[in-house]
Amino acid sequence: MKDCLEATFFKRLGNFSLDVSLRLKEEIGVLFGPSGAGKSQTLKILAGIVKPDKGRISLMDRLLYDSSSSVFIRAAKRKIGLVFQELALFPHLTVLENVAYGLKGPNRWHLAKSWLDAMRLEGFYDRMPDQLSGGQRQRVALARALAPKPDLLLLDEPFSALEGPLRRALRRELKKLFERVKTPILYVTHDIEDVCSLANRVFIMRDGSIMADLEASKLWDPLSQANIWHSLGWGTLIRGEIAIDDGYHWFTWQKGRLRLSPSKELTAGKATVFIPPDQIKLIYPNLPVDHELQPNTQEGTIVEKMEINGSVRLYIFGADVEWHAEFSKDSYLTLNLREGHPILFSIQPSSITVLTDEECCSAN
Amino acid sequence: MIPSLLVSLKVLAADIPLLFFLGTSIGWILAKKNFRGKNLVYDLIILPIALPPSVVGLYLLMALGRIPYLKEANILFSFTAAVIAPLFPALPIMIQAAKSGFSSVDEKLEAAARTLGDSEFEVFRRVTFPLAKPYIIGGLALSSMRALGEFGVTLMIAGNIPGRTQTLPLFIYSSVESMSFFEANIAAILLTALGIASLLIVKRAGGKA
Repeated sequence: MKDCLEATFFKRLGNFSLDVSLRLKEEIGVLFGPSGAGKSQTLKILAGIVKPDKGRISLMDRLLYDSSSSVFIRAAKRKIGLVFQELALFPHLTVLENVAYGLKGPNRWHLAKSWLDAMRLEGFYDRMPDQLSGGQRQRVALARALAPKPDLLLLDEPFSALEGPLRRALRRELKKLFERVKTPILYVTHDIEDVCSLANRVFIMRDGSIMADLEASKLWDPLSQANIWHSLGWGTLIRGEIAIDDGYHWFTWQKGRLRLSPSKELTAGKATVFIPPDQIKLIYPNLPVDHELQPNTQEGTIVEKMEINGSVRLYIFGADVEWHAEFSKDSYLTLNLREGHPILFSIQPSSITVLTDEECCSAN
Repeated sequence: MIPSLLVSLKVLAADIPLLFFLGTSIGWILAKKNFRGKNLVYDLIILPIALPPSVVGLYLLMALGRIPYLKEANILFSFTAAVIAPLFPALPIMIQAAKSGFSSVDEKLEAAARTLGDSEFEVFRRVTFPLAKPYIIGGLALSSMRALGEFGVTLMIAGNIPGRTQTLPLFIYSSVESMSFFEANIAAILLTALGIASLLIVKRAGGKA
């Protein structure tokens, strides 16, 4: 498949700079990263709302921006649809007028209606945007952006303000919509669920640049996971050494050690390990411990506890390391998980990712 | 009184379009464009509100009477002067209202319109202006009433010539001076009614000015 979008650009924004290079085929690309990574600015530059300092952007073989030949096609001529996080529906126009906004010619009302019908908004033509529910507004914004048949659709965290079930339903709809219109989509999010359910391709962004560009199918290999979690500033990273003792591979650092899965590729020497937050298992003090977990048992104190979207996040301090653990809030109900409380936990050797120095740089 | 009413209405007929076009265009530039010295320009525009009308009038009298090109135009004590005079206190009100209106329009809405194919003029016509309209109507109602009621600047540069530059407020002044209180009262009632009407327009526009 051919690249639809090719973009390389640089933009200085105060003391932050954006240095982005990405290619997108006819697929759903998810631009993923923590807030402040420069994701929204990237979309604004692609859409032509913000002009970069230098670089080159082309879409479907049309040159949209080229600093070396002073080409800058303005937003109105780019054929790029954009849905803002706040949706930006025109408050003074009806739903139908909003969707017809970017259309021209005598057929425009008919076309706008057929888009609304396809979005299951048949009875809402004459409503004003503030008379719609959150999910309906989302669908109007999508219909408005897609109606003029753009060559690329940019979505800036469009579902972030919605409740879980509605968000899932809209993701499914978006995926179906993509199958129908085949417009390449670049979707910005900091929600890992969006990545899992939508992406064909994932761009991981941090501090103004794309750290990793990978196919969604490769997302769950251990190295990618380490990159993703770490790009969110979340997950445990420990620097130490690999040693072989009693026929086992151990990862040791000043105050502790972890047993690793046996592997021929592991050699003794300096290394870094990454432990995804969902792989830290808490241990009930009075119950027997799984024999795989037993050798890796650690002791620590809960420093901070947070509840986010049905998950519990723990920061645990132990063996001179801050461990990040995350699990469903329905787990470990009988454990006392208060801040300041001691806790036992462990990690399966197979879920510890060993990073070579080279790989570690990209994770850092 | 009728000649003065006619002068006032003619002044208003000339000033309302001027207030509208100058006010919206300057207000738009101040709200949406960034340039060097923008704050200074804004302060200078607002200044006539802070100065006594006689002071503004005196400066204008000097400018129109002494600056060569302006002097030759023979504006002083003409109907043209009666049209220009009220703009000094009234235009800042209109500019201020238009500026607030245009600033209140979310830039994302304008950006969305651009991505949907609108040129800058289309963005203004289809999004920015309609959304700022309540402010503009409110500003127009208040500033045109300020223009209708203008006294000091008009007296300084247009004089008080019945049938030519004597507007209703000047007529009231002359009537009181000549002890014709009945006529002064009629004119005052007329101006009061117009003032209330303009406030109602502001209210209906959503109190935005």
